[in-house]
Amino acid sequence: MTILLKNAKIFDGRSLGGECEDILVKDGVIARRGSGLPEDGAEVYDLGGKLVCPGFIDLHVHFRDPGYEWREDTESGARAAAAGGYSTVVTMPNTEPAVDNPVTVEYLLARGKRAGGARVLPSGCVSKGRQGKQLAELGLMAESGAVLFTDDGSPVWDAKLLKTALLYSKDLDVRIMEHPEEPSLTAKAHVNEGVVSASSGLKGWPASAEVIDIQRGIALSRETDAPIHFTHVSTELGVDAVRQAKKEGLPVTCDVTPHHLSLDENCILVSRFSSTYKVNPPLRTRKDVKALWEAIADGTADAIVTDHAPYHMDEKDVPFQEAPCGIASIECSVAVVLDTWLKLGEPVALEHLLSLFTSGPAALLPRPWRALGAIKEGAAADITVLDLDAMKRVDVNEWKSKARLCPWDGEMLQGWPVMTLVEGNVRMNRLEDGE
Amino acid sequence: MEWRHKDLISLEGWTREELHFFLEQADYMDELMNRPIKKVPALRGKMVVNCFFENSTRTRVSFELAEKMLSADVVNWSASGSSTSKGETLRDTVWTLEAMGADAVVVRHGAVGVPDYLSKKLHRASVFNAGDGTNGHPTQALLDLHSARKKLGDLDGAKMAMIGDVLHSRVARSDIQAFRKMGVSVTLSGPATLMPEDTASLGVEYVSDAREAARGADILYFLRIQRERQEDGLIPSIDEYHRRWGATDSLVALASPKAAVMHPGPMNRGVEIASSVADGPNSVILGQVRSGVAVRMALLYLCLGGAR
Amino acid sequence: MVKAQSGQLWTEKATVMTEGDMERVLRRIAVEIVERNKGLDDVVLLGIQRRGVHLAARLREIFKAEEKVKVPAGELDITLYRDDISTLADQPVVHSTSLPGDITGKRVVLVDDVLFTGRTIRAALDAITDLGRPERVQLAVLVDRGHRELPIAADYVGKTIPTSRSENVEVRVKELDGTDGVVICERNGGAGHGVEA
Repeated sequence: MTILLKNAKIFDGRSLGGECEDILVKDGVIARRGSGLPEDGAEVYDLGGKLVCPGFIDLHVHFRDPGYEWREDTESGARAAAAGGYSTVVTMPNTEPAVDNPVTVEYLLARGKRAGGARVLPSGCVSKGRQGKQLAELGLMAESGAVLFTDDGSPVWDAKLLKTALLYSKDLDVRIMEHPEEPSLTAKAHVNEGVVSASSGLKGWPASAEVIDIQRGIALSRETDAPIHFTHVSTELGVDAVRQAKKEGLPVTCDVTPHHLSLDENCILVSRFSSTYKVNPPLRTRKDVKALWEAIADGTADAIVTDHAPYHMDEKDVPFQEAPCGIASIECSVAVVLDTWLKLGEPVALEHLLSLFTSGPAALLPRPWRALGAIKEGAAADITVLDLDAMKRVDVNEWKSKARLCPWDGEMLQGWPVMTLVEGNVRMNRLEDGE
Repeated sequence: MEWRHKDLISLEGWTREELHFFLEQADYMDELMNRPIKKVPALRGKMVVNCFFENSTRTRVSFELAEKMLSADVVNWSASGSSTSKGETLRDTVWTLEAMGADAVVVRHGAVGVPDYLSKKLHRASVFNAGDGTNGHPTQALLDLHSARKKLGDLDGAKMAMIGDVLHSRVARSDIQAFRKMGVSVTLSGPATLMPEDTASLGVEYVSDAREAARGADILYFLRIQRERQEDGLIPSIDEYHRRWGATDSLVALASPKAAVMHPGPMNRGVEIASSVADGPNSVILGQVRSGVAVRMALLYLCLGGAR
Repeated sequence: MVKAQSGQLWTEKATVMTEGDMERVLRRIAVEIVERNKGLDDVVLLGIQRRGVHLAARLREIFKAEEKVKVPAGELDITLYRDDISTLADQPVVHSTSLPGDITGKRVVLVDDVLFTGRTIRAALDAITDLGRPERVQLAVLVDRGHRELPIAADYVGKTIPTSRSENVEVRVKELDGTDGVVICERNGGAGHGVEA
């Protein structure tokens, strides 16, 4: 099918065009980019100056499939992602059974294709069963299509195993994503070590727990010369460590989440211990939030990921201390980031911010997928259309995701994705809504 | 004064004026315990459910006495273990309470945030926090204020030394809040391993030497030390704890001569407090128990009686 | 003069008792109490909080001066016995109750400022029942303003004043209000009820 997106400002993955242009999508690829393109039997969408970007990529989502499908599954997750403006997501392997073999990788790819939402790319575990003891079949998983290796949910706490994995995966072109946490410092902790833990007695999660694991990973990356990626970095100390590693020229990368870019530990007190704010890593201080935006500004952060972590209401709508950690927000995450960016007075250039959703994450994927994240004639027609002026209230009852608890439910946010295309197929279209 | 609180989850939202008014009302409730018939019909027809998810005889009995003296109907609900024992979630408990027509729920739970959770979900019933995890025990703080005030009069400007395991103590957290609101300056003492990381954010000072904290203090408050802390490796031995931070006659002698010695109970005699101090002339520990009933009566009456 | 009371605005309409009137009335009531009880043996005055307490104290002074008898006087707070707690606009504040010894077998004279619906007295009777078993209970009020809702009557009345429901009768005592006297006030617009007695 042929689609013509007219009158758009185009962000191609690197830079934002000044004038309005058109994009012609044909047979699943971007056929042409230019001004005044002929309509010629295409389905025409007049975007009225809205922003056309390469389809957004989320490197870190939990779709709970297989094993925990009452929380989410590949279908609901993929559709939720598309509703949130994402055209590609990478699913985390902490499922039941864990994704530690090629068969499960292929199962997820197949389910993803049928889902009719965002493109689903599975990640595989670093260790068998995510037990942290033995290396999983990294080569076979890579062949079957795994795009990252991670034991997310946990760090790879055995340094020898992590070093082995780094060495082994070097030539597979599949990056290792490390969940930076030192478990002995975080046992039974529920909140950041700070004002909330002092005033409530809830055990605190010190910043050191994050940076210790990051330093460890950097040291191993230096020795093995293998790339390592740190996910959901949440502290000033953490981003500082990554910054230093980058200065040294090491292949170290990291991502940050929308909730760590906008919320802080005071939300827990103000909301009177609402479990929607319980997350791993925990919400930190205002100072840390500022440091994360600075990390975006100076290129320390390479991507923004949602860490979409859905739970059933029965599991999550419980008293704070008993609740599991996780914020499920993929359907409003982009709006949260844009709204926060606007409220903070646009602390980074829009182009740079958009690259963290597009070319930034694409660069961390294996070669076949690196072309995602760019708008180029001949590239796959993965497109996200943004309306920076759109004001909409978050309503979880409209969600495609199974999750129903979200920190921004009921909040008015500005800056929304209004259309998602995956390989030329329209997976989400809200152009007619509002206005 | 118009009483505007329907629940008591934390004393954070109470003003100093409200605390003064409350403590005066508690004084009059205290008088009721001297009557031949210790019962007034003020809360007749109101149903109070005591939801104790954590074992506690003392606090529950204190609340029960208060409830019965005000002629309320009392339902005792104890669920041992976590709220999810027998598969019943706290959300289910909420619907049951609502359906029962409870006018008030007194809740004690091992998890922080449970009273907040209940008060957000229960539309009708008042919620009273009888202790949530390590977070708060506001009625304890109220009775401590009442008791201290009885001995010392106006507390404004007084000095309090709070000694013991503050890190794990909800009593400490609520008392620090309450006494500070009344104008008392609070100094903490105890092993550094048993202190919260950020004492400054609580508005208190910390000194490791108990003697320094006790010197000239008007109130000496001793917290329980549990044997598990020794097992957790947080203190080397109970004996060392007693020598360095225990309530001994020599430590109490450093405080002001009229000082009030307080303890939330139950006491580990010989550990955090010597018997001679517990039974000594400065001790108001027994008074604290009596204040407990008076204060809980005042709380129930003010929040449940009167216009809502 | 406009004054705020119970969150409403009241305007004074008329003075029904001056300081002098009040003193004469209290003396007359004291004489009636002595007559009715054939003396002051076993008589105990119980003033109802708040102004009843001060009126009871005045009677006690009169007995001391005229009869040369020290009549025991106590204070009774009936807030916890009210049946109208949830309909009051204001939070009813509890005040002190203190009895001058055991009232069992005594002749209790309840003293209150204004008798209105009778509910305060009903509550007082309930309270007394919980405090002891007097031989008899009598009621002395400074003003009876009518509008009874219960079968309650006073044994000793200072003055009977017919009033309408929108009016309020205020007894003032030096100890609390700076002056002695009784005035009638009119409510200014707005819904709500006056202070019940």
